[in-house]
Amino acid sequence: MKLKNRLLMSVVALGIASAMSGGAFAADTIAIITPSHDNPFFKAEADGAAAKAKELGYETMVLVHDDDANKQNELFDSAIAAGVKAIILDNAGADASVAAVQKAKDKSIPSFLIDREITTTGVAVSQIVSNNYQGAQLGAEEFVKLMGEKGNYAELLGKESDTNAGIRSQGYHDVIDQYSDLKSVAQQTANWSQTEAYTVMESILQAHPDIKGVISGNDTMAMGAYAALEAAGRKDVIVVGFDGSNDVRDSIKNGGIKATVLQPAYQQAQNAVEQADKFIKTGKTGLEEKQLMDCILINADNASKLETFALSE
Amino acid sequence: MTVRTLFVAGLLATSLCGCKLVATGSSGSGGAAADPIAELVETTFDAKLVPALTEKAADLATLRGAIKDGLDKAGESQGVKVGGAGGGWNFAVKGSGTIVDENRASKAAVAEIDLDGDGAADATLQLGPVIKGSALRDTTNLYDFSTFRDQIEYAKLGRALNDKAVSKLPAADAPLKGKRVNFLGAMVIRSGSEKPLVMPVSIEVAP
Repeated sequence: MKLKNRLLMSVVALGIASAMSGGAFAADTIAIITPSHDNPFFKAEADGAAAKAKELGYETMVLVHDDDANKQNELFDSAIAAGVKAIILDNAGADASVAAVQKAKDKSIPSFLIDREITTTGVAVSQIVSNNYQGAQLGAEEFVKLMGEKGNYAELLGKESDTNAGIRSQGYHDVIDQYSDLKSVAQQTANWSQTEAYTVMESILQAHPDIKGVISGNDTMAMGAYAALEAAGRKDVIVVGFDGSNDVRDSIKNGGIKATVLQPAYQQAQNAVEQADKFIKTGKTGLEEKQLMDCILINADNASKLETFALSE
Repeated sequence: MTVRTLFVAGLLATSLCGCKLVATGSSGSGGAAADPIAELVETTFDAKLVPALTEKAADLATLRGAIKDGLDKAGESQGVKVGGAGGGWNFAVKGSGTIVDENRASKAAVAEIDLDGDGAADATLQLGPVIKGSALRDTTNLYDFSTFRDQIEYAKLGRALNDKAVSKLPAADAPLKGKRVNFLGAMVIRSGSEKPLVMPVSIEVAP
């Protein structure tokens, strides 16, 4: 049953691979596995990786695990069965993904991780992640400045199972908590969701009408919060997000949300493919396994240069 | 090498229990009561970091000119690139000049220093207690991210190094404005036109 399942998955995967490639040549293939492309951040990642792979002469096999570690495991089986030369992965869980990456390594297929870390080193060849902590500090420094170093504020947290939710919150607090006149009156999760953030923001506003600012763990929640504030006639409330999405860029340009922090998702995925290519050809990347990429503050000064998670010069 | 392995083991031991180190030490983490980050800072700040910065430090007044002529060129010869595309060049720097302005009202207190004697500020020295960035962690090759469990542990080191440095800087009750000072520190520069923001490990008032 399991074997049959696996074989079926492989057939599907091969189907995908040849569909993606047009099936004409037997070129080497790189698998690109990310969370669902419904979130434009992950789509930008997959697009960036695929574009670079094509540029370097590889076929691609683009798959999504929907943040389900079991599904991710099956996708790894498919990729291994399809004989890919490397796997680019934005993983479905820091602990749960170690076994899948190890399984590929045991079959001599190297993995190159982007966006999220796993808890073990020496299993993946590269782990290229955004410096979420540094980014959160940038966002918090801007937030503190916008708040004039004082006032009541609320924080919207991301999904608890995602380590980046915790890292960002800690980065925010390591800055904000040093200002004793900034008072946290509410801290609630909205699970990265725009609609949840809208509802949560409505109830926070009712309980704390004197609120002066909202700092959010990502941009989709910032969008939801700002919509709720706007509906309540409270456009004076300062909102800061995280990710650098086009939606928040447009809001900043229209004087809505005040700032966000760009994660260079597109570039990160491209770097991962470049390192995979080098590893395939030479057996090494010449770089450390764990690599941090700095985030960039986006506000009214530079919002116009932002497009699909990349900042033009 | 062995030291590094031991250090990582220590980090894992304390972080795997998922607990915060509390003052009572009753967390049951097998007697590893010491905070490995604090220990690393204690054992390396004076013994390794300050000497490494001293050895590498470029004179900021001269370096500023080189940076204006071409950041990448100056960086390649005297700096360390950190943080990929969004990151910048880290430099160890030293210099002397006159403090022309001082803002102690903000928690992120700063002093503006004139390096070339024209009366205008050429660089900003961070005084804390709130410090921006992690230049002290990133400018030398003493602290390697790969040896840390995750970003949070690595970030704690950046913060701890900043705190340690702040504790050695002139306090708010010793105003610097108008004084001539010598400093040693580190900074990150992302564009050739930006005003250097230096995190000092020492600021000495000239006699």
